[in-house]
Amino acid sequence: MKPWFKPMIVWLIPLAICLPFIPLVLWSLSDRWFYPALGPQTWGLRAWLYVFGSAGAQIIASLLQSILVATITAFTSVIIGTPAGRALGLYDFKGKDFISLLFMLPVIVPPLCVAMGLHLWFIRLSLAETYVGVILVHLTFCLPYSIFVMWGVFSNYNPDYEHQARSLGASSGQIVLKIILPFTMPGLIVAGLFSFLLSWSQYLSTLIIGGGRVTTLPIMLFALMASGDRPVAGAVSIIFVLPALIVLLFSARYLGGRSVVGVR
Amino acid sequence: MGSLKIRNLSLSYNGGAPVIEKFNLDVSDGECMGLLGPSGVGKTTILKALAGLIQPDQGCILIDDVDVTALPPEKRDAVMVFQKPLLFPFMNVAQNIGFGLRMRKINGAHKQSEINNILRLTRLDGFGRHKVHELSGGQQQRVSLARALILRPAILLLDEPLSNLDANLRQEMRELIQEIQTKTNITTIFVTHDQSEALMMSQRVSLILDGRLRQVGRPQDLFYRPVDPDVARFFGGCNFFTGEIKNGQFETPLGLFPVGQDLKKNQPYTATIRPEDIVISPANDKHLRGAILRTNFEGAATRLWVQCNGVQLIVLAAGAQYKAHQNVSLHIPPDKIRLFPKNV
Repeated sequence: MKPWFKPMIVWLIPLAICLPFIPLVLWSLSDRWFYPALGPQTWGLRAWLYVFGSAGAQIIASLLQSILVATITAFTSVIIGTPAGRALGLYDFKGKDFISLLFMLPVIVPPLCVAMGLHLWFIRLSLAETYVGVILVHLTFCLPYSIFVMWGVFSNYNPDYEHQARSLGASSGQIVLKIILPFTMPGLIVAGLFSFLLSWSQYLSTLIIGGGRVTTLPIMLFALMASGDRPVAGAVSIIFVLPALIVLLFSARYLGGRSVVGVR
Repeated sequence: MGSLKIRNLSLSYNGGAPVIEKFNLDVSDGECMGLLGPSGVGKTTILKALAGLIQPDQGCILIDDVDVTALPPEKRDAVMVFQKPLLFPFMNVAQNIGFGLRMRKINGAHKQSEINNILRLTRLDGFGRHKVHELSGGQQQRVSLARALILRPAILLLDEPLSNLDANLRQEMRELIQEIQTKTNITTIFVTHDQSEALMMSQRVSLILDGRLRQVGRPQDLFYRPVDPDVARFFGGCNFFTGEIKNGQFETPLGLFPVGQDLKKNQPYTATIRPEDIVISPANDKHLRGAILRTNFEGAATRLWVQCNGVQLIVLAAGAQYKAHQNVSLHIPPDKIRLFPKNV
């Protein structure tokens, strides 16, 4: 292998990931850009002025809604997914295979079907067009990931550490805080991150359950794209990507394969 | 300090068949008691029940004559040290050792001096700030022991403390445990499947076979005065022959032996003698004659299979002068014979 080959690959991969964002940046900074020109004919900050100016309040409102929904979804998903993953990872019980299949169902069944089916129920339960309803429908998609990540963590986990801690005088609460939490922290962060990003990018389910009342960033984005104003859509897309990217960078050190595996 | 009484303890896993049935044991204050038995006999299960990690089906556990059966592990004055060191990887050595004190909300200078004392006692001076994965297996085991000792429990429960160590470290760790036990005088119960370990380390040994306590006593008692053939077999007894009591003598194919024990007449008995207690010599007329079937050189001694009046005996002879198919004479000292009623 040539010495330059490995670094080249290492640099090509992030480049390939970044490439699709370049047109977004160009669009957001263009005033006029028509076929067959390779770049924008006239540059300008009209889109950004619109995003931070006249549409600013609207976009910030939907940004806040997105952060609120995704954060609550991520926390709930981890809080429910951890005991479930622990049960699957540590204990053998009747119907374990069947239950794990049930957990996978929301991932296998097309999201549209799930959202449409739940919509009818949510109207009856008067959860339609509410934040709680949107968070619940997001949870149906996030929970399988949380459960499966935590299942992996707990199948490599030795519960004798807890027994040892108990024998040394730790109460149940202290065991959760001082033993289980540090042991499973990387897994918890990965599960939370997955859930956050999944919830962040939900469009269809938010649209159906939220019914236009809950306007998260993707709802806003689609509305702007449908209006055909590409520079503005480009600018909003960048705003949409940024928080997710920040969350990802913040937790990148936990994403290595080793960190998810527990300690025996 | 701590005395321990176990009364009618029955244990099972998840409501299955009982692993341990009607187990009774008394351990006095400051004693070092070995729980000995083959693997899978339920020794660790008993230890976990004493620590409170398993709830017994029946029976009760008394520490200093107080019933602790219903108390959770963290409220009991009994600390268990597991077979694996189980050090918390996100804490350094000192933090691991101080864990129990932290759980009891003991902090500050007192905690630090306790940690330093225990580091010295377990010969871990200067390792306080080390990460646990930087330690060797023996050091990890010592940290695990220190973590329990710092709490000064009434009862210290050790589960196979030496089984994860290689031969040299084993010796060192055994001496360390004995030294600490004498210094601190903590009532210690330790589990092992290794008979020599149990004999060397404990003041008294409890032998468990098939889920039942078979014999409790000083190491010498179990070794030289086993209560039944199974106990004898567990300690390496391999020579068993039968006979009857007639006219105050024990009549066997190997000859007549005077009887020391108080025994019933005309009843079959099984006798055992340890292989090292049989005296072997080159063939002569005074003693019992036999022929060597095969030999197995073991280093300090040679194991000989000797056929003698239709009974096969195993003899341990010093040196390596005997060969297979050789005729030899055997002397079985009557005082070394141990008799059991045959129906046992």
